[in-house]
Amino acid sequence: MAGLDLLSDQGYRVDGRRAGELRKIQARMGVFAQADGSAYIEQGNTKALAVVYGPHEIRGSRARALPDRALVNCQYSSATFSTGERKRRPHGDRKSCEMGLQLRQTFEAAILTQLHPRSQIDIYVQVLQADGGTYAACVNAATLAVLDAGIPMRDFVCACSAGFVDGTALADLSHVEEAAGGPQLALALLPASGQIALLEMDARLHEDHLERVLEAAARAARDVHTLLDHVVRQHVCEASLLLGD
Amino acid sequence: MASVALSEAEKVYIVHGVQEDLRVDGRGCEDYRSIEVETDVVSNTSGSARVKLGHTDILVGVKAEMGTPKLEKPNEGYLEFFVDCSANATPEFEGRGGDDLGTEIANTLYRIFNNKSSVDLKSLCISPREHCWILYVDVLLLECGGNLFDAISIAVKAALFNTRIPKVRVLEDEEGSKDIELFDDPYDCIRLCVENVPCIVTLCKIGYRHVVDATLQEEACSLASLLVSVTSTGVVTCMRKVGKGSLDPESIFEMMETGKRVGKVLHTSLQSVLHKEESLGPKRQKVGFLG
Amino acid sequence: MLKSKTFLKKTRAGGVMKIVREHYLRDDIGCGATGCAACGRAHEGPALELQPQDPASSLCPRPHYLLPDTNVLLHQIDVLEDPAIRNVIVLQTVLQEVRNRSAPVYKRIRDVTNNHEKHFYTFTNEHHRETYVEQEQGENANDRNDRAIRVAAKWYNEHLKKMSAENQLEVIFITNDRKNKEKAIEEGIPAFTCEEYIKSLTANPELIDRLACLSEEGNEIESGKVIFSEHLPLSKLQQGIKSGTYLQGTFRASRENYLEATVWVHGDAEENKEIILQGLKNLNRAIHEDIVAVELFPKSQWVAPSSVVLHDEGQDEDDVEKEEERETILKTAVNEKMLKPTGRVVGIIKRNWRPYCGMLSKSDIKESRRHLFTPADKRIPRIRIETRQASALEGRRIIVAIDGWPRNSRYPNGHFVKNLGDAGDKETETEVLLLEHDVPHQPFSQAVLSFLPKMPWSITEKDMKYREDLRHLCVCSVDPPGCTDIDDALHCRELENGNLEVGVHIADVSHFIRPGNALDQESARRGTTVYLCEKRIDMVPELLSSNLCSLRCNVDRLAFSCIWEMSHNAEILKTRFTKSVINSKASLTYAEAQMRIDSATINDDTTTSLRGLNKLAKILKKQRIEKGALTLSSPEVRFHMDSETHDPIDLQTKELRETNSMVEEFMLLANISVAKKIHEEFSEHALLRKHPAPPPSNYEILVKAAKSKNLEIRTDTAKSLADSLDQAESPTFPYLNTLLRILATRCMMQAVYFCSGMDNDFHHYGLASPIYTHFTSPIRRYADVIVHRLLAVAIGADSTYPELTDKHKLADLCKNLNFRHKMAQYAQRASVAFHTQLFFKSKGIVSEEGYILFVRKNAIVVLIPKYGLEGTVFFEEKDKPKPWLVYDDEIPSLKIEDTVFHIFDKVKVRIMLDSSNLQHQKIRMSLVEPQIPGISTDISNMDINEPERKKKKLQK
Repeated sequence: MAGLDLLSDQGYRVDGRRAGELRKIQARMGVFAQADGSAYIEQGNTKALAVVYGPHEIRGSRARALPDRALVNCQYSSATFSTGERKRRPHGDRKSCEMGLQLRQTFEAAILTQLHPRSQIDIYVQVLQADGGTYAACVNAATLAVLDAGIPMRDFVCACSAGFVDGTALADLSHVEEAAGGPQLALALLPASGQIALLEMDARLHEDHLERVLEAAARAARDVHTLLDHVVRQHVCEASLLLGD
Repeated sequence: MASVALSEAEKVYIVHGVQEDLRVDGRGCEDYRSIEVETDVVSNTSGSARVKLGHTDILVGVKAEMGTPKLEKPNEGYLEFFVDCSANATPEFEGRGGDDLGTEIANTLYRIFNNKSSVDLKSLCISPREHCWILYVDVLLLECGGNLFDAISIAVKAALFNTRIPKVRVLEDEEGSKDIELFDDPYDCIRLCVENVPCIVTLCKIGYRHVVDATLQEEACSLASLLVSVTSTGVVTCMRKVGKGSLDPESIFEMMETGKRVGKVLHTSLQSVLHKEESLGPKRQKVGFLG
Repeated sequence: MLKSKTFLKKTRAGGVMKIVREHYLRDDIGCGATGCAACGRAHEGPALELQPQDPASSLCPRPHYLLPDTNVLLHQIDVLEDPAIRNVIVLQTVLQEVRNRSAPVYKRIRDVTNNHEKHFYTFTNEHHRETYVEQEQGENANDRNDRAIRVAAKWYNEHLKKMSAENQLEVIFITNDRKNKEKAIEEGIPAFTCEEYIKSLTANPELIDRLACLSEEGNEIESGKVIFSEHLPLSKLQQGIKSGTYLQGTFRASRENYLEATVWVHGDAEENKEIILQGLKNLNRAIHEDIVAVELFPKSQWVAPSSVVLHDEGQDEDDVEKEEERETILKTAVNEKMLKPTGRVVGIIKRNWRPYCGMLSKSDIKESRRHLFTPADKRIPRIRIETRQASALEGRRIIVAIDGWPRNSRYPNGHFVKNLGDAGDKETETEVLLLEHDVPHQPFSQAVLSFLPKMPWSITEKDMKYREDLRHLCVCSVDPPGCTDIDDALHCRELENGNLEVGVHIADVSHFIRPGNALDQESARRGTTVYLCEKRIDMVPELLSSNLCSLRCNVDRLAFSCIWEMSHNAEILKTRFTKSVINSKASLTYAEAQMRIDSATINDDTTTSLRGLNKLAKILKKQRIEKGALTLSSPEVRFHMDSETHDPIDLQTKELRETNSMVEEFMLLANISVAKKIHEEFSEHALLRKHPAPPPSNYEILVKAAKSKNLEIRTDTAKSLADSLDQAESPTFPYLNTLLRILATRCMMQAVYFCSGMDNDFHHYGLASPIYTHFTSPIRRYADVIVHRLLAVAIGADSTYPELTDKHKLADLCKNLNFRHKMAQYAQRASVAFHTQLFFKSKGIVSEEGYILFVRKNAIVVLIPKYGLEGTVFFEEKDKPKPWLVYDDEIPSLKIEDTVFHIFDKVKVRIMLDSSNLQHQKIRMSLVEPQIPGISTDISNMDINEPERKKKKLQK
């Protein structure tokens, strides 16, 4: 028998969501005390931690320092037990390096790096459990961590994935949906301006459909923004309560 | 961070405090900081646990995978340890920076599990010489606030306690070819007996005395420490001196005694916490990193 | 929206992996009842009626919905499809189980669900907060699903009670599982077995016949002895296949011998591709098209394919001994070389049953409800069914579905599905042959028709945007008489530079059929127009096929033109393609066109144009034949129909004129030009047509046959085959060449559509062209529509769409098209055969000369050129003494008593319609000349003039 029906005739996805619905998102800022900023996010069963150190002096070779802005340094790492089949190494493989690079591009577009010339900002993300949309979860976690560290940004960076099945665009793909092999698109959005910080697509998708998939991803990213904004406000409330006492 | 830089005055303050059995955070020499343990935090593993000891934050995931038994032990499964010192803990660990520490801890874990009584490896065998379970015990170091070894050993024990291995049946047909069949009932699974799994108690020599569960600051004042792995009955299964300083034999015995004593108490309280959590059943509200 | 998670474990590649999936529970899933206030949201699509007007059931007098479990859905789908059954709740749990177990049933359920009149509703119970259940400790997956179904049934009953107390709606749980039913009743859910419920529908007694008879495992043993060995369970089979003990393949029953079948082994084990199975026990209840596992016998038990023709005629069902006797007939001493791998079926991997057309053979025992059903397809065994309306069904064509085949039964069990009508009735027979060949022939649905252009239709300015106005050209069409779907027209004119301009104009169907809409989907599904003798099953609705797309004369029509500039030597100097508007000046028949070309007195534009075309065509044909294109032959006949009764009154073989080949030549040229263009533009997803070269072994029979007449046929290349066929003439036997060509046609492979990105062999063997496609008949072939779209995109006249450039989708489409074309061809042949029968029915008995086409072990196949009719003359008959037969495969020849028959021998046969078997009325041939005492029929003794019909009555 062929694989699963990713979208039933009644319009439900394998996990019971409708096409445009996000998975359940839960997040917390300030998870760790030692780092300058940290955050944890759960998007369904995809769980990621992000930690920010900096801005601080350039580590290692001084030659890397940029005269006009801060260096954004990202490392993506995924716990060996995070995937269905155990991974051999947590980072350093091709995919992790690529992810790190993508994160760096995303956050260079969002952080006001020119405020901290000749310094370095480290963003480390750690995926604890992977169930699709790891890039999006990492970006969202990192946004919260950067905010927690108090590093000025243009805007939130909100990311979400989207796919395309039987003529319908699906938002926030889970692992089963990703594994089905259809086209998938990852989008990082600066919601206030509607600018796109990163856009990436794998697999073939006909030009005619692109707009709809992009639209679905952007709408989902805006939904993510609403949720993250809420998390930040709540965190600030709690923090100010503690400070007030 | 893995280490901190302290001024001379700070060191003197800590050393003197220890001599008076009064540590910087108000503990006595044989007191642990409060330990938070939660199991089953990563749902796609066979077993997992998160342990928070002060600022030290450890996540352990156990994955059971099928493999072939080792040649020399055809009717046993085995455990594999891997320790990932994440850059989350400190930027020093970025890239390959944490590999050395990771290997050191993993090797220590191999040694403390390298005896028959710790885990019943025979129960991990599915069919001799052909199939067995390999338990990959993966340790993820998320934040480092001193006393890594103890925290990791507690987390490993908790994760193994939480581990559930699916029950399988080996079907054999006339031609002798074998096939693995999974039981239909997901509740039907093997659990490990962790009664004899040891925990590490690290004793830090500070001045003339030794303390357990040293913080990063205290570790910076210590020249040498002793790792003692103790079972719940107080049996020492492994011992190792670490650090750049030296220890005299007399204090080693003293420290071992302390280790045994503290270790037994540690086991008892860990055991009770784990059982208490288990009794809450699947309906327990998981906290994870959200709490 | 509430959320929860479930944990599943799955195995993959031998290992065990823990897989975690999220599972969201919702509270916004409606119950599906129209106007339910609690689930206020409007349901899109089909929904349950608020007040179901169901047929009265004596068991449940209150209005109710039905809620069947998985097995009921799987096995009783025929009953559920009946229009009388409405308002059924299909649970997601049930649907998923059905999907995993039977793809065809799943598809049928979906079709039923989409039919608004049936009021089927799919309830997504697994994601509903109140109906989701978790697998409990000690419960297996099946039990959990059963519980989930009961929980949903209970929820429905309570929900409906809340909805309206006075309405008293009930949900009836239908299950055939005794334990499940008991549990349901305990829980307060009204539950019945399917049989109980259907029997309670007093107003619809006919439904009972449609119930599948499922004997429970226990009952199987009680009656009669076990005939067949047990089928091994799937797990064992898979292990066996993995280890190589068993082979997996498709079971193909023989049409000519019910005791023999072959299994085509899947995979690439070259030498054992085909396995022979002989004898009922070795066939072991496999049915044509099933996927089976076969065990190979040791070489000592291998047999050769028998050339005996045997039909299952046993009326009594348990005469197994007799079967064994017949089986020994098969095993005759044969040449060592002929032995083929032989084996037996050990288990069934996948059944591929479908509903079968056929007729009832009423049981001799009065009052008996069990009868045998004989399918029209001879490859399908007879099926035992239970019915009370046997007398009413006798002599009718009916449809029956198989339910199962117990080990102790000579025949499979099945149930009645549908009555098609009287056998022999033209309408019924046409319906049968369309059904048997899976030709979609229902009238076009409203949804499809809604995409037709609105009448009156005219060409708008928008239409002209990417079009050239070619209305001034002197275009004409040449077709067979009576053709209403004219899809091609031609023109030829001299250019100022002295060269010739030739245009092929094809109906612009893709202008009207836009990608993806219902009209497009339906056309793609049909794939081709099917031409039967007196009926045409259109691929596109008539408005298009016979009007807007048909390039009739003196009206403006949209076309897709392929225009060449050619020298007078038919050299192509320039090729261009354009969408256009044309106005045909004349719609001619082949004969009319021929007449114009031939008569010196007519010199108008059209005729000049035709002469130019004809001249070029001759050169083109010569060039093509030089390259090695084959001219093959198949006897084609046309019926002259009585205009009133539509009965065939005369047969006529098709006459070929120069103009036929003229049109053909330019169509080939257009197809080749277009193929080149689209492949150039879309190297990965051009839809092309290829004709693979046949393997040398295919030619064996042809070479042998020619040799027997002292002729040599070379088959190393297409060119040498064409040349040697041309040279194979016999002055004393002029028809020999045609016979050889007929035989050569039978050696050929099937030409197929394919997607250029999925294959690398493009060669068209028959036409000797490196690349080929179909462009010229978009009205009647869907492939051409796709080619039109590709070409339109290539020249920038139309926009592309996603599916067009998806090679996997294209490959799937090709698969369907190839299947439809094959089926259309078979249906066409069946239709010709049926009309031939009608013809001979009225004509009575005739004697004709013919030629032997094939020699079999106990029969010869004779071709009657006059009627284009092929038939078998049997030399063994049931009640007659067996003649002395010697068969030689090498020559090939058959010696009967003292007479030897060779291939191509001239014989005289008597042709008559044999109606003794109403189901398989057939043309019976018997030998007249040469005379063999006791075998051939002596005409003088026969009362030739006795009409066939009377005879039949006497028999009754």
